[in-house]
Amino acid sequence: MDENKEVKTEDVSWKTTLIAKAKKLGRCIFTRFTNFLAGIVRFFRSLATGVFCFFKNLYLAAKNHPRSFLKGLSSFFLMGLGQFRNRQWYKGAFFLGILLVFLLTEFLTGDYIYAPAELSRYPAENTLYFFRDYGGLFTRGIWGFFSLGALTVGDMYRGQLIVNEDFAYDWLQSDNSRTLMGEGVIVLVLVAILAAFWIFSIRDAYITDKKLRAGLEIERFKEWLRRIWDQFFAYIIIIPAVGLILFFILMPFLFSFLVGFTNYDASISLRSDLIEWHGFATFREVFGIDPAFRTFFLRVLGWTTFYAAMSSFTVYVLGFFQAVVIESRFVRYKKLWRLILILPWAVPGMISLIVFSNIFGADGLMNRLLADWGLTDAVRNILETTRLIGEGGSGTIEWFTRPANANLARFLVLTVNLWMGYPYFMLLITGVLSIIPQDLYEAADIDGGSTTQKFRFITLPWVVRATAPVIITTFTFNFNNFGAIYFLTGGGPRYLTDDIPRAIRDTPPGQTDILISWIYKIAFESGDHNAYNLAAVYSILVFILIAIVSLYYLSRLKTFWEED
Amino acid sequence: MAFREKRRTDKKEATGVLRFFVTTLPKVVKHVIVYAWLLLWVGIALAPISWMVSAAFSDAPGIGYVPIIPTSFTLDNYRDILTYRSSTGQLFPDYVDSFLTTLLVATVTTVLVVILSALVGFAVTRFRFHAKKPALLLMMGLQMFPGFMGMIALFIIFRVFGWLNNPFYLSLIYVAGAIPFNTFIVRGFMRNVPKSLDEAAAIDGATNLQIMIKIIVPLAAPIMGFIAVTAFMGPWLDYILPSILMPNNETVAMWLFRMNVPTPQPYRPMWFMAGALFLAVPIMIVQIYMQKYVTYGLTAGAEKG
Repeated sequence: MDENKEVKTEDVSWKTTLIAKAKKLGRCIFTRFTNFLAGIVRFFRSLATGVFCFFKNLYLAAKNHPRSFLKGLSSFFLMGLGQFRNRQWYKGAFFLGILLVFLLTEFLTGDYIYAPAELSRYPAENTLYFFRDYGGLFTRGIWGFFSLGALTVGDMYRGQLIVNEDFAYDWLQSDNSRTLMGEGVIVLVLVAILAAFWIFSIRDAYITDKKLRAGLEIERFKEWLRRIWDQFFAYIIIIPAVGLILFFILMPFLFSFLVGFTNYDASISLRSDLIEWHGFATFREVFGIDPAFRTFFLRVLGWTTFYAAMSSFTVYVLGFFQAVVIESRFVRYKKLWRLILILPWAVPGMISLIVFSNIFGADGLMNRLLADWGLTDAVRNILETTRLIGEGGSGTIEWFTRPANANLARFLVLTVNLWMGYPYFMLLITGVLSIIPQDLYEAADIDGGSTTQKFRFITLPWVVRATAPVIITTFTFNFNNFGAIYFLTGGGPRYLTDDIPRAIRDTPPGQTDILISWIYKIAFESGDHNAYNLAAVYSILVFILIAIVSLYYLSRLKTFWEED
Repeated sequence: MAFREKRRTDKKEATGVLRFFVTTLPKVVKHVIVYAWLLLWVGIALAPISWMVSAAFSDAPGIGYVPIIPTSFTLDNYRDILTYRSSTGQLFPDYVDSFLTTLLVATVTTVLVVILSALVGFAVTRFRFHAKKPALLLMMGLQMFPGFMGMIALFIIFRVFGWLNNPFYLSLIYVAGAIPFNTFIVRGFMRNVPKSLDEAAAIDGATNLQIMIKIIVPLAAPIMGFIAVTAFMGPWLDYILPSILMPNNETVAMWLFRMNVPTPQPYRPMWFMAGALFLAVPIMIVQIYMQKYVTYGLTAGAEKG
């Protein structure tokens, strides 16, 4: 009787602690989330303060040191002029040289020399795009970025017909809005670099003059270079890396982000149509106007989330199980078993996915094996009764192609992912198992804990806590796991519906398509009818979803915020 | 509690027939179940791999006729992929050509990634920056943008500058993509190299550059090796990026993919298996050798609590 009572009270206390734990966890998540939001607010506030302080300091400088301010101002009008006026010849030449490089590029890539003669021949009242016809890299780029082109094939311009390709006269060629936009983004980044040097030269002219006036000794050019090298050493050695990231990550990002705000859809064919800035119209299209659109988006989003969650979950559970089994005391030759079981992980993903797409092909291994063993009909019956495939099929099994077999295709996608993914977690959890302090188990033994109890109250909490970050990264990885769908099913069976919105008529999602593989289809796989703006909008949405999850996780990581 | 102890003593004291039923039989059953489970999974894990090996060395008429366990052995597929040229004027066969192209990309990527990661890691751990952490966060954040949306832009950049089909510029993209993550890894490692070493060297008159090259980088050699290996493996099976930026200069992944789609001839899944196996074996060996790194970061973090 006594024992029973004890068990009961234990049971109840266990429940209450669970509730208390859940509450605590809820509060914890809530405060962490609010902290995260507060961090974002703080970031923008400090940004605003920075801008305000900049103007305040500018005003104070002009008021308190008018002469130094003037020197800075002269560097503002001509980079390096302030340095010359400070009698710092080399330094002035350095800044002037940078400016000259930019100006020369502009002049040499432009056709300014022809402008006076040609312009005098054309009547002034006609429309004329000066920078389009004569501008160099920079002015033309900026013109192109804001206008996205003005003339298409067949237009009359300055008394001539605009054509697709004219090798003698650039200005007779039709405008390719996409190229103009891309060049525009490149130019904007280059101009930003010039602006950085510019600001630097202005500050330098101002500060040096102030020092001169205070009677301090001015360092010579060589010393200045040395000081710059020492003081900005950290910045200088990361320039190559930052440059690459700027050019190959940030710029493409900006470009595709901007495409989301244009009307660059399937109806645009470059050179005969112009792309235009469109504001949030595409976003409105995706979310509002067309209900069929929303249905498709929500379907794909739903499957993507399910896929990401399920694939991470199954892989984790199986990996955990295998790790525990191999580490159990019944098993000998642990290393050998582990070596064999991690082989699927070692095969490169793309190769195993294509191998599996061959196995489940129409005349692939699976169908032939079933036919050899005379099992085709039996398997078909099993699949039908389990509702994995729709009724009415006959002959060999269409694993990835028949619309009614969508559930089977989805099941296989998850299964193949399980095959490829469980060894990683098996390795990971084996590692974690080895660092759980053994005295915990010894203590449990002394208290008479059973194997299940030891697993539930020691192993499970330890492993879950240690691997929590990896679960999150696995989820985000699977959310964007393009190859797992594209190489295996290619999107899988199509949806059985006639109600496809016009904008995605050429590229409807398949039933196993996740967002990312659908985006790829929209952007690249429809011949000349790519709805880039739609793809960009979806990319932005995916980005926001993933970035929130991952940044939240990163911002929580202790190691990230530790001081160096 | 008392009940449990009682049962245990029962077990120990059991003898004869009883002993067989109470202790030996459950043990045997457990063993059988565990080993059966493991054998089942050995089968599941090995079947597709074995089929791939079988297909690579098989002379079956079609991919569907290849048995799971290799029964025949022929090098025909390898002879074919090592001689097939899609146009007669080519110096190298398609496969060899794509292999060499990818090798070049991978080598350039590795060299640049190692140098730049060392520089960035050193800068990040040894100096104070304006807005260091927001910049690191931004870098990580940007990486989460679906990569191939940026490919339209990359395509335009490459065309404007005439870099299409050029392996060197392709590898620059891999380098740019690898830096953010590597920065985190190198940062975690270099942080643990004591700063007193730097200070001692600085007192002896070493410059920043000397400190980096002569002290920090040699000490960080293990992690640099890890970075080099991952950087080298990256480009081999990346398909999307080269398929857009190298339309006329195939990489291995493009070759592999081409063998599996019917439209541009030849459609040869068997060649795919042969070529893929040749590529997969070294990669698998490296992966298995590097498995200890999987748990490296995680267990280190867990031990710290």
